[in-house]
Amino acid sequence: MTIDLAPNHKAGLVLANPVMPAAGCFGFGAEYARLVEVEALGALVVGPLTAHPRRGAESPRLVPTPGGVLLHTGLANPGLSAILRRYARVWARSPVPVIVHVAGTAPDEVVSCCQRLSGLETIAGLELGLPDTADPDEATAIIQAAHASASQPLIVRLPLVWADALCQAAVEAGADALTVAAPPRGTAWYAPGNHFITGRLYGPFVLPLALRALRRVAALVSIPLIGCGGIHTVEDAQAFLRAGAAAVQIDGAIWRDPACLAHVARTLQVK
Amino acid sequence: MIQSDALITDVGTSGPFVRVTLAAPAIAPGLEAGRFVLADLGDYLRALLFPARIEAQEFDVLVSPHHPAAALRPGIAVDLIGPLGQGFEIPAATDRLLLVASTAHLPVLLPLTHQKPGSAASLREKPGFSIALLLSAPTAADLYPIRLFPPAVEVTIVTTDGSAGHRGSPLDLFPDLVRWADCACIADDPATYPALAEIVREVRAGSGRRFVQALVVPPMACGVGACQGCAVSVVRGTKLACTDGPVFDLLELR
Repeated sequence: MTIDLAPNHKAGLVLANPVMPAAGCFGFGAEYARLVEVEALGALVVGPLTAHPRRGAESPRLVPTPGGVLLHTGLANPGLSAILRRYARVWARSPVPVIVHVAGTAPDEVVSCCQRLSGLETIAGLELGLPDTADPDEATAIIQAAHASASQPLIVRLPLVWADALCQAAVEAGADALTVAAPPRGTAWYAPGNHFITGRLYGPFVLPLALRALRRVAALVSIPLIGCGGIHTVEDAQAFLRAGAAAVQIDGAIWRDPACLAHVARTLQVK
Repeated sequence: MIQSDALITDVGTSGPFVRVTLAAPAIAPGLEAGRFVLADLGDYLRALLFPARIEAQEFDVLVSPHHPAAALRPGIAVDLIGPLGQGFEIPAATDRLLLVASTAHLPVLLPLTHQKPGSAASLREKPGFSIALLLSAPTAADLYPIRLFPPAVEVTIVTTDGSAGHRGSPLDLFPDLVRWADCACIADDPATYPALAEIVREVRAGSGRRFVQALVVPPMACGVGACQGCAVSVVRGTKLACTDGPVFDLLELR
């Protein structure tokens, strides 16, 4: 069973298995090397990264919520140059394709990242994260900027709330595939600090929201879709595949059980 | 670092704590004071467990009776990820080790009061080596019993209400003890750290890197640096408690 996530791209993006980690949950490819059977997966999705270093949000970044967790990192990352220095060799050794997630902060920064990553053979594809607040015009500008400067297939990760509103614009702007969706945002009261924290939500409760979004997007576009959000079991992944996803990304479940990635991948491979 | 099942072999009490013994031959040898494991105890986030006693094949954790691990029973298998993090580093040249802890945080430092079998550089075998512990609690009833410490550990008690030992704050006694020490390890509420750091700057100006090491434990998700969730603010930016810590140079913390 192979899946081509970019059948209309000259290079294609062929995976031997539909299961991969979600951006923001797997680090840059080295962190889980001793805990995850990478060779069982379809691809690695690493990042997010930005052109310049970002210190990220102050502590605390993480608040447990009922049945899940709220996380606000502020896109903390050492910047593209440092990441390439540290991880290019890790990606070159990867037994499966590496997809780099670029945070879609602004068109010029996206161009800077995509141009730099464009010539790297170790990177099979790029995934572009859209700002949660992007309207169709802003999304189009960012996606077009990425599409024009990247040689690899371009996956666009849609905000959950606006997935159906942005999906057609994303396709028209040059997306080869869509990830549906980025984790939703929520707000939690952080009692020790006596303040609110807003961040992304992870947990099984996200799955019905993401599944609904994927079905709506599947009815609107015909490029490959990657289901993402709250997948914790083989059955969860199968639900996305039945709903029209060509592949799935596993997010917060990796933190609870790193072995679940390979378990879901191997089980789906057999079936 | 591995993901592996540990078998609960014993559960008992140790002072105010519930003591849980985990047989984990693949993980225990890599543990040391300040390093930790993430245990799947049913909540969405794994529970962070610090070893309080480390043997070749097993380790103990001491938790409050309200901690999810306190409900574990012998015969149960628990999925662990570990060993994780960077623990306390005691330089081989150390002669006078100071430990500072509130009773609630004490278990993290307990391995430093006991000899770790097989450790080539066991400090307690070193002639002239001494350990002082500054232990605080709200009242005498909250204290970890002194009789449970090895005789070689010199314990100084501070209680808020004066029901045992010195009445007041550990800050009252810390200056003299930190003058005496040539290495100090702290496990307490991080809210106390700025005041402790100020004292260190005052009485031990120019002390070397990691002269005073302090434990900082924010909530963690992955334990391996992938989620970026356990940020700790330091003088030159941000570090992650799971991979850079959870033990930091006290003077580096912001």
